[in-house]
Amino acid sequence: MIKLFNISKSYINGIKVLDDVSLHIRPGEFVSIVGQSGTGKTTLVKVLIGEEKVDEGKVMIGDWDITNIRRNEVPYLRRQIGVIFQDFKLLPRKTLKENVSFALEVCGRSQNKINKIVPSVMKIVGLEEEQNRYPGEVSGGEQQRTAIARALVHQPKILLADEPTGNLDTINAEEIIDLLLRINNFGTTVILVTHNREVVNRLKKRVITMEHGRIVSDREHGKYLL
Amino acid sequence: MLLSLIRIIKFSLQDVVRNVWLSVITVTILCLALFSINTLIVAKIISQGAVDVVKDKVDISLYLKTDATEDQIMALRSDLTNMDQIKNVMYVSKKKALDFFRLKNKNNPEILQSLHELGTNPLSPSLVITPKKTEYIPDLIQKLKSLENDIIESRDFTDNTTILNKINLITRRINQIGMLIIAVFIAISLLVVYNSVRMAVYTHRKEIAIMRLVGASNYFTFMPFVFSSLIYTLASILIIISLFYPFLSLIQPYLETFFMGYNINILSYYLDNFVKMFGLQFAIVAFINIIASLLAVKKYSEV
Ligand SMILES: Nc1ncnc2c1ncn2[C@@H]1O[C@H](COP(=O)(O)OP(=O)(O)O)[C@@H](O)[C@H]1O
Ligand SMILES: [Mg+2]
Repeated sequence: MIKLFNISKSYINGIKVLDDVSLHIRPGEFVSIVGQSGTGKTTLVKVLIGEEKVDEGKVMIGDWDITNIRRNEVPYLRRQIGVIFQDFKLLPRKTLKENVSFALEVCGRSQNKINKIVPSVMKIVGLEEEQNRYPGEVSGGEQQRTAIARALVHQPKILLADEPTGNLDTINAEEIIDLLLRINNFGTTVILVTHNREVVNRLKKRVITMEHGRIVSDREHGKYLL
Repeated sequence: MLLSLIRIIKFSLQDVVRNVWLSVITVTILCLALFSINTLIVAKIISQGAVDVVKDKVDISLYLKTDATEDQIMALRSDLTNMDQIKNVMYVSKKKALDFFRLKNKNNPEILQSLHELGTNPLSPSLVITPKKTEYIPDLIQKLKSLENDIIESRDFTDNTTILNKINLITRRINQIGMLIIAVFIAISLLVVYNSVRMAVYTHRKEIAIMRLVGASNYFTFMPFVFSSLIYTLASILIIISLFYPFLSLIQPYLETFFMGYNINILSYYLDNFVKMFGLQFAIVAFINIIASLLAVKKYSEV
């Protein structure tokens, strides 16, 4: 599903944020990427969604070589990869439901489709009751679930979660991880970037550990090493 | 596609309404620019009219003896026509002169009455000379003064060249200054729209980031801003139209008294050329604004 071949990347100052990273993630996998902050995890996520380009190496998503993806192709990539972040990225002046519909509206989907898809993803994340509230009126966990619902509207094959529990308390965090596991059970490849030790250890799934832009360990049923 | 268009228009209208002050300021400045440009156009039309009026008054005529024969007159005429500075020479026969005279005095029964009492045609035939260029007039007059020919009875040179030159100079100045002012205002409009779109992009940066995140097409991200700038353009053109016609009706009476007897109707000029004038202005302003908004969106939203 995702193949990285010896990718390296540095920003203007020349320090390698990603240093010769190679990686193969199979369809339907649940992979955690851990590592201290500043080791290039978010940069890796940005490479995968076409927001940053690598200096060396090759990036494949399915059969698609996105190493030198053109600007006007990026939207199509984004529709195949759902992504959520620590800060939810919801529009405060839209209700939860409107936030989710927005993603379909701006991609030119018909109102019919929107009316069908939105309730179903709201149901998956368990927000049918709260869907007419505004982000400011619900908990962080519910906001993150809204973001997940939005990430699911295009039925992506891959879901990237960059520190999704970073702003949440333990209970909410667990709920989000459980939701990600359920989504993974539907067959979606899930990549979870986190530095939450308990979360990773409880998962007992593949763990990739990064340090200074390099992969230092990659094990099935792994534990948080650092 | 239609659906996308409707959504783009919806986003754009929301944007214009939500940033109402920014919109008002943008439209106001665009209106000021358009007003100045239209004022310049009016100034140009008026000065052109003035030139025509004065040109009309430059009258170089040779009055001929009443007993001059047609052959003699034609010979003189062809001599004149061969002169370098002369564009054409119109022959006004005795009869034609009388017709003109009657026409000119048609509201003056006393004159017509006395003409009738006279019984004969007292007017002389004449040759009316049109120079190729107004600059040639002084030279030409000099030449005609020294022209020897028996049939010439009198010469009438109303020399308006100085005033004509002055008006020509003013017209040229208006054109030059006008170009400068138009250039300045185009630059100002560009900056103003650029800035407004920049601010709009800034207020919407979160929305734009999310749009990009969820896979909105690039045109969907920037089209609302381009559309907003079209709304600004349309609004300012409409305001200018609704302001400028009353303004023209206001100055029209003054113009009429000033150019008494000449047909300078600025209002009807604008009405006759409505589509051409404002269509062109709309096209130009819209073009500038689209460029400005594309630049701003490109720079500030990384589309
Ligand atoms: N846009 C950028 N420009 C310059 N440096 C950046 C940029 N984004 C991240 N960095 C730097 O790259 C390094 C890795 O950042 P990041 O990928 O966000 O790490 P992580 O997500 O693991 O905390 C950090 O040192 C960060 O300061
Ligand atoms: Mg990070």
